[in-house]
Amino acid sequence: MTAPHAPGSAFWPPFWRGFRALLPLWPGMVPFAVAYAVTARAGGLSVWETQLMSLTVFAGASQFAAAGQFVGGGLSTLTGALALVATTFLLNARHVLYGLSLSRTLPLPWGQRLLAAQFLTDEAYGVTVVAGPRDPGGLSLAFLLGAELSLYAVWNASTLLGSLAGAALPDPQALGVGVIFPLAFLGLLVPLLDGRVTLLVALASGVGAWLLGRVLPGGVVILLAGVGGALLGARITTRRAARGKAT
Amino acid sequence: MSGWLVTLLMWAVTYPARLLGLSLGRLHLPPFWLAFLRFVPVSVFAALVVPDVLGSPEWARRLVGAVAGGLLMWRSRNLAAGILGGFAAYWVARAAGL
Repeated sequence: MTAPHAPGSAFWPPFWRGFRALLPLWPGMVPFAVAYAVTARAGGLSVWETQLMSLTVFAGASQFAAAGQFVGGGLSTLTGALALVATTFLLNARHVLYGLSLSRTLPLPWGQRLLAAQFLTDEAYGVTVVAGPRDPGGLSLAFLLGAELSLYAVWNASTLLGSLAGAALPDPQALGVGVIFPLAFLGLLVPLLDGRVTLLVALASGVGAWLLGRVLPGGVVILLAGVGGALLGARITTRRAARGKAT
Repeated sequence: MSGWLVTLLMWAVTYPARLLGLSLGRLHLPPFWLAFLRFVPVSVFAALVVPDVLGSPEWARRLVGAVAGGLLMWRSRNLAAGILGGFAAYWVARAAGL
């Protein structure tokens, strides 16, 4: 048994460590949020509606899909709106995987789950699962929330910036910041490649996602390739273990 | 439909997905599914990286950046160094006309 610590005393140091762990990803997030806000405003959404989506839905790809449809006028019909909601569901179903994976090492009481769930993203999950266990306090709610809110803060601040000043800003795509997103995830992937099985799983999921991406939307691709790759890894390792027992 | 109503419907399908996974922590899982969950980060990260590099219209420069950034991160184990180095390599490739 570990000694229970005084409530609140040990929250903020790991929170800020988690918050800072996401800082390298900020330059990649700002231009995406600005671009979303500019598109949404051009599509006829008010500043408040544009911001509300960043505050509640908080999912980059889905927000882009929505903003694009407002521009296209597809949301004037009920069918168009329901299609967007269905797309959003498919795009974000991958979060079930992140939550499942996190909950194995970080079981949370229901009140904390309700809070942590709102701010969960690819990036916060990625950094938490890699850097969280290496944190002095271990993987904790404080570290997770710090990582989550780091991105939430920059995403919402950049949405507001884009809503209010979009037309006056330089085109972020011209600066080549699009490459920061894959570089950030590559940085999370590299330390995990510690053997032939993980290398094979990464190769299969990566190439699989690239091929699937030619015919399917991004979020669905991540879900399918993520499940497919993890199934492959699980199959190889459990077969090996079974063979080890048999001999 | 109004913007805020569509937004609330989108939220209503996103939040439960985030909550569901976090709520299944105490579920007892056989070894196969525990191994599955251990491989989720590797497969998801790879699926996020490869299409964003190879599927991009500027894939050649991004590939240079990714290879340089990947090698730096492998040697240094430092995320920020890898991102900055990869971004610098991307710009060198871009300036060289790749």
